[in-house]
Amino acid sequence: MMKPGAEETTMSQKSKETGLDRRNFFKALGAGATAAVAPVAVTPAAAVDPGKEETKSRYRETDHVKNYYRTNRY
Amino acid sequence: MARMKFLCDADRCIECNACVTACKNENDVPWGINRRRVVTINDGKPGERSVSMACMHCTDAPCAAVCPVDCFYTTADAVVLHNKDLCIGCGYCFYACPFGAPQYPKLSNFGSRGKMDKCTYCAGGPEADLSPAEFQKYGSNRLAEGKLPLCAEMCSTKALLAGDGEIIAQIYKERVVKRGYGSGAWGWQTAYRETIAI
Repeated sequence: MMKPGAEETTMSQKSKETGLDRRNFFKALGAGATAAVAPVAVTPAAAVDPGKEETKSRYRETDHVKNYYRTNRY
Repeated sequence: MARMKFLCDADRCIECNACVTACKNENDVPWGINRRRVVTINDGKPGERSVSMACMHCTDAPCAAVCPVDCFYTTADAVVLHNKDLCIGCGYCFYACPFGAPQYPKLSNFGSRGKMDKCTYCAGGPEADLSPAEFQKYGSNRLAEGKLPLCAEMCSTKALLAGDGEIIAQIYKERVVKRGYGSGAWGWQTAYRETIAI
């Protein structure tokens, strides 16, 4: 059976080996994330413009449409 | 410039639902969606009226005002269309629409609804006119063919009118004068801020 103090010693030894303490883990993570985000340039959001071709008028008063209006007058 | 509108003459509509069927067939509308519906009020009672309803292509459309991805646009004919590539299916437009026009093809356990679908006034979408891609997403583009929406064109009692707002309003006024009564242009006050006196 291992003594209570013995395990603790092993953990702190491990931390020293990896160079990353349990208490400093999130600090290191946060710093890393900031470094990754910083170089990205902020681009302004652009609204989508449907364009002239999409919004052009398609309605034409063709013979077909004129016939429709005529028959609806009955 | 002509302003496209729908007008349903409620005194002529016989609730045959041919407009609904014609629309589904013409536009290859997905399962579970009716771009047009016939609503009957006072069913079975004196004064019963039926109104064929779909997207009214509103002036200052509320759906466009609430869309978080700004996928709606209005054409020069005043037809309100939307881009399915941008739509996220959030459902805001459904809550904003006074006519209940926007429809969604899916309903999953996780709330995804799929791309919104609604009446396009048989005017397709942002893809090239009469292209297969346009048909697949939005249905036919009869306006580009020099025709009007099929629902109105094939209405047997000529209750549903479509086309230039001024011309169809004139046709309706002539009818009201001739028969001596009319129940007004249903939805015009809401959609176009206009009324046609009875």
